[in-house]
This record gives sequence, structure tokens and C-alpha cells, in this order.
Amino acid sequence: MTAVPAPRRVAFPAGLWGMLMVIATEGMLLGAFIATYFYLRFKAPVWPPHGDHAPPIATTLILTACLVATSAPMAIASWSAAAGELAKTRLALVIALIVQCGYLAYEFKDFSDELHKSNIVHDQYTSIYYTLLGADHAHVFFGVLLNLWLLGKLVTGLTRYRVRAVQAIAWYWHFVNVLTIVIVGTLLSAHA
Amino acid sequence: MVVVTERLTRLEHQWQARPGVLGWLTTTDHKRIGLLYFWTTLVLFGAGGVEALAMRTQLARPNQHLIGPETYNELFTLHGVTMIFFFIIPMTTGAFGNYLLPLMLGARDMAFPRMNALSFWIFLGSGIFLYVSLAVGDAPNAGWFNYVPLSSRHYDPGHNIDFYCLGVIFNSIASTLTAAQFIVTILKSRAPGMSLNRMPLFCYAMFAAAFGLLFALPTLSADVIFLFLDRNVGTHFFDPAYHGSALLWQHLFWFFGHPEVYILIVPAFGIATSIIPAFTQRKMVAFPLVAIAELLVVFIGFGVWAHHMYATGLPTMTMIFFGAATAMVVIPSTIQVFSWCMSFIMGTARFNTPLLFIAGFIFMFVMGGLTGIMFVAIPFDQQVTDTYFVIAHFHYIIFGAAVFPIFGGLYYWFPKVTGKLPFDRPGQIAFWIIFVGTNLLFFPMHILGLIGMTRREYTYPSGLGWEPYNFAETIGAFITTAGILLLLGNLVYSYFRGVESGPDPWHGPTLEWTVPSPPPDYNFAVIPTVRSAYPNWEPAPPYEWLDRGHQQVESEGVDGVIGDIVGMPHESPWPPLLALTLLGVFAMLVLGKFEIAGIMGIFTLLTLVGWHSKEPQES
Repeated sequence: MTAVPAPRRVAFPAGLWGMLMVIATEGMLLGAFIATYFYLRFKAPVWPPHGDHAPPIATTLILTACLVATSAPMAIASWSAAAGELAKTRLALVIALIVQCGYLAYEFKDFSDELHKSNIVHDQYTSIYYTLLGADHAHVFFGVLLNLWLLGKLVTGLTRYRVRAVQAIAWYWHFVNVLTIVIVGTLLSAHA
Repeated sequence: MVVVTERLTRLEHQWQARPGVLGWLTTTDHKRIGLLYFWTTLVLFGAGGVEALAMRTQLARPNQHLIGPETYNELFTLHGVTMIFFFIIPMTTGAFGNYLLPLMLGARDMAFPRMNALSFWIFLGSGIFLYVSLAVGDAPNAGWFNYVPLSSRHYDPGHNIDFYCLGVIFNSIASTLTAAQFIVTILKSRAPGMSLNRMPLFCYAMFAAAFGLLFALPTLSADVIFLFLDRNVGTHFFDPAYHGSALLWQHLFWFFGHPEVYILIVPAFGIATSIIPAFTQRKMVAFPLVAIAELLVVFIGFGVWAHHMYATGLPTMTMIFFGAATAMVVIPSTIQVFSWCMSFIMGTARFNTPLLFIAGFIFMFVMGGLTGIMFVAIPFDQQVTDTYFVIAHFHYIIFGAAVFPIFGGLYYWFPKVTGKLPFDRPGQIAFWIIFVGTNLLFFPMHILGLIGMTRREYTYPSGLGWEPYNFAETIGAFITTAGILLLLGNLVYSYFRGVESGPDPWHGPTLEWTVPSPPPDYNFAVIPTVRSAYPNWEPAPPYEWLDRGHQQVESEGVDGVIGDIVGMPHESPWPPLLALTLLGVFAMLVLGKFEIAGIMGIFTLLTLVGWHSKEPQES
């Protein structure tokens, strides 16, 4: 029945295409948020408006650097999974998860402290500031859940399906890290 | 022969659907999902149609008060939201796209079958969500584009707009899933040999629409998230008193809204480019140009949004830029019109019902397109903004250019889905009734707009010269309805009394006509190979049986070279469950019970964990 000799070429798997779609549409959503930030900024007489403060530069940058650094263990996890090295994959994931959880815990506390000082309903600046920041934290939070789920899955070893999952989730994290850089840059631009 | 029977039995066993209601609830078969989409959108089309008829009945004569202003506001808003989000997009992508894409690509199912089911159940949930708002008397009432400040808490204190915000987000989740599904399926699930230049134009159209949805919907989501926060938390995105901006709503909305218009019509172009070759028995003229034009229409569609905002006081330079960008849309549109017309002329056209609808579609599209070009003239646009002239324009486009091909497509693929031939003469009569009805319904709107009737008037005084046009429109609306009923009634009759169609009654060009009607659960017993964009006319030797499991071929993105054989998931209870938990989340959000919504959200996450507890068998 096989009349046509079938050349085969290992190609980009559907699972990773799926993650690319997530990244595309989420990137667009956050892009709309960032566009809104600048739209409001360019319409405002003073930025940030009186009574509001731009986020502190040093702390914000250090925290962002910590989060962005987790792209390294995520990439290692991804490569190790593809090579079938289960222990190394788990270790890299655990390291990434610890840093990500630490980041998230600090940011959650900071977010609620800031909300007490300057309410989201204060003006247009606080509206977009907290929405943008909250959206970023939500993405980190979801990533943490994904990593927890992944570690749970890896308890019983690696399958091809799980390798794809590690790769896709690593991609998600790279996306979240880039997103965080862009959002932090946007929010810090209030100093300029 | 014995081997063939054995293999077919094995395939049937592997792909067989569970019987009964449970089978439909847990299905991941793209054909069943397509049918579920079809029936649901048909019901919603009925609802949107009844809303339109109610409005037309009110406007038939001056000074009528059958419907009060409040109800009228709800009716036109629901009509718009329903027809756009709950009829045309899900009908073209959800029903036609789901049923036909894998068949045309030579695949056994979509790339992510469970996600496909999820998309339908979420769509169903969002439809229920929207119409519950009508039942509880809180239906959206600020128009389908829902401008602030009219839709702000101050001017619209009920739950109406909250239903709009959440319903739209809920619905866009379904559309986004469909879009992602289509893109990945088109890139990964094409039959061996189907390089991108051999892909049917229908698939290009779906590809373009899917990209449009994937990139346009998020801005709408951002917009309604801001509005929901403004209304329920007290933020100031759109509140000028706190340096927010009411125009921000319009920018974000139309950044979505204009691509949306092309998302509505591009799949219809795809239907047209499927029907024309079959009924002219000729390859499409300028195939590559049409493929590029389909993609280009959506791409340019992202750069024209501010032409909806000429009356808002934008800087002249901005308006000129957007006017020029809008004029550019003419180029890919005209390429397509010329290609359709030339294919008619150079082939041997058989004017059966499907092709009649396509001919009607070309006429209506050109009519709507010509008034569209008029809007590029900024002073003219400012003059007719918010008048019935605009209503006429976009109904020619949306009804003429999107719904006509849907009707044509129904007749064209009816034999494939049911195995029966539709009766042609009643279909042709239905076409002429609908054609006359829609022109009588929509053409006088141009004149009404020019003589000053603005949109969204729930009633009007006599003596303005509007009466004859409005009366004619109402007559047209009822004629159109009669035509649609005849059209659908004939299909029902054909289902029971029609003759067997066989696999390929029209001698169609694409792969779906190579399989039995209705197609078996596994679509293709033997995986086909492709050497042309018209594989049923220029067949290639098949590839192989692929009956060792619930499997599908995954191909490489551009050239259609075989990449892998993958195991596909089969029947899952998780998609409807997940949609149910999401319905709970949205219901609690609209009631303002955010904590309970959070708890429902946890259930959603747990459902996701359950979903992934069983891994699809991969070979």
C-alpha cells in the first residue's frame, strides 16, 4: 500500500506550537495593557500624577534580575528532559521553583503593602499601575502552579509527553521573564 | 480483500464513538464538534433574527411603541453581539472550520482534539450566560461596541454591562482556543505532500481568520477587563475626571473591532473559493494571489481601526493615515473579486444553489465594498457617522458577504455531512427570495441614512419622509425570513427524502470528496498523499493505512513532509466539566461574589489537573 517512499523530518512538535499560541495571545493582551499605560501617560499633564510614586528602582531591578535568572535552570531542565536525565531535570526545576516562589512571596507582600499606601482607585495612574503589575504577578503565579504540577508528574519518571511538557513550560517561563522585563521597564519609565 | 476488511474493522473499532448522549458529551471528534457548533449557532442565529424582526416591526410605521426604549436598547445590542460573536464567527470557524479543516487537510482529527471540545463547551456556556441576562432582564444595552461613558456604572448601573464584559471575555476564550487549534492543525496535520502552496484556499482563509482572532481578541479582552474594573472596583481607565480617557475604550475596541470584520468575512471567502472550482469545474484563477490576498486582508485590517473614530476629533494627520490604510484594503479585496469573476467566466458555471449564493455574495460584497470606499472620504464619513448609511454598509458586508456564503456552503457540503443530495429547485427559489428580501431590507437604509435617520432610534415621528423606506425595509426583513425558512426547511426535507449523494456528487476538487458521505469516524482509512491543490482532480498514490492505534500523521510545517506518527486522545469528560466550572466563575463574577468566583477558579484548576492525569498514548 505504501506507494510513496516517505522521507521523514523531525519537526517542531504540535505541543510546542500550542505554547507559542499561548505566548502570542498573552503577549498581545499584555501589549494592550502596556499600550494603555503609555496612552494614559501621554494624555496626562504630570506623570506620575501628584500623590503617586514611581516604583523604587534598585529593589525592582534586583528582584527582576532574580526572576529572570530562573530562565537558566528552566532551560537546563528542558535540555535535560530531552536528554532523558530525570534527576537533573527535577533538580533544575526545584531550583527554579524556589527562586520563583521567593520572588512571588515578596511581590505579593509588596503589592498588598503598596495597595494600602496608595489605593488602586486613586487615579488613572494607580489604575493602570496595579493592573499591569497584577497581571504580571498572575502570570508568575500561574507559572509556579505549572512547575508544581510538572514536578508532581515527574515523580513517576519521564515520558515523551512529559518531555514536551517540560519544554513547553520552560518556554512559558522565558516568556514570563521577558514580559516581566518589559513591564518593569514600563513602570520604571515613570522616573524619566 | 480480507485484509482490507480486517483493517477497516480495526480502524472502526479504534475510532468508534461512544453511543448515546454520553458519546456527544465526551466527544473529541472534529465532525461531531462541528455539528454541535452548527446546531448551537443556528439556535442563536434564530434568536438574533427574532431580535431583528422585533426591531423592524417596531420601525415599520412611525410613532409605534410596541417596544419601549429600554427593551429596544437591549434588542439591538443583543442582535449585534449575537450575530457577530455567537453566530457568524462560531458558524464559519466552529461549524464549517471544525468539520472541514481536517477533511480538507487529509487529517484524522485536529491537532488538539480535547481542546477543540473545550472550545465548543465554553462557547455553549458563554451563549447560555449571555441569554440568561435577557431572561433576568439585565441584557447588555449599550450597543455591540458598548461605548463609555454610556456603559459606565454612572449611566448604566444595572448588571447589563457586566454581562456584556464577562460574556465577551467568556466567548473570546472559546474563539481563541479555536484560533490556536486551527493554526497548529494547519501547520502540523496536513497530509504528506501537502506543502503550503498545495493547501486549499479554504484552509488559507481559516488560517487568516485564526491569526486575526488570536491577535485581535486580546485587545478586546483588555478593554472589557478595564471596563469591568472601572465599574466594579472603581478604577479610572475611562474616567476623564481622573485623567482617564473615554477614547481609550474606542481605540482598544476598534483595534479588535476592525480585524473582527475581516475575521467575519474571510472564512466566507474560503467557502466561496471552495464552491467556485467545484461548480465551474475549473481551477481558481490566480490561486497564489488569492491565497496572499486572504492573508493580506486580515493583516491590513490591523492598521485601519481609527476609521471608526473620524467623528471623535482625532488629529487630521491621523485621520488621513487611517484613510489611506483603509483604501489599501481595496487591493487584496479586488484581487479576490477579479479571481472569482474570472473563474466564473473561464469555467463552465453550473448555477446550482451553492453557486447562486456565491454569485449573490459577490454582488453584495461589491455593493458593501463600494460604500466602504466612500468612508475613506473623511468629510463624507463624518457626515454619515451613526446614520443608517453605516448600517446599510455593514449589513451588505456581514449579511451579504458572510451569511450568503454560509448558506451556499450549507448546500455545498450538505451531501458530505448527511449523505443526501439537497433538492435544488427549492434552494434556488430560496436564494432569489433571500436576495430580493435582503436588498429590499438593506438598500433603503442608504437613503434613510443620507436623509438623516440615525441608528438606534426606537421610534420616529411621521412627516420626515422616512416612512416608505422603513416600511419597505420591514417587508424586506420578513421576505428574507421566509426565504431562510424555505432554505432550511428544504434541507430538512432533503435529509429525509433526498436521494443518496455518494461520496462526490459535485466532482469537488478537495480531499473531503474522496471519503464516503458521511465520513467515517477516522476520516481517511488510508492516509492520502497530495501533489496538487486539487487532490481529488489530480490524485496521488496513498501513503499507508495507519491502523496500529488511535493515530494521526504529524507533518512538518512548510513542505508537508512527514514528521511523526502521533497517538491522539480519544473521548474525554474533562472539556465539558472545565467549561462548567468556568461558567460558575463567570456567574459568580457577574453577581459580584468574587470570593466564590475564586473558589470556582480553584475547581477549574483542579479540573485541568484531572484532564492531564491520563497521557495520550504516543507511539
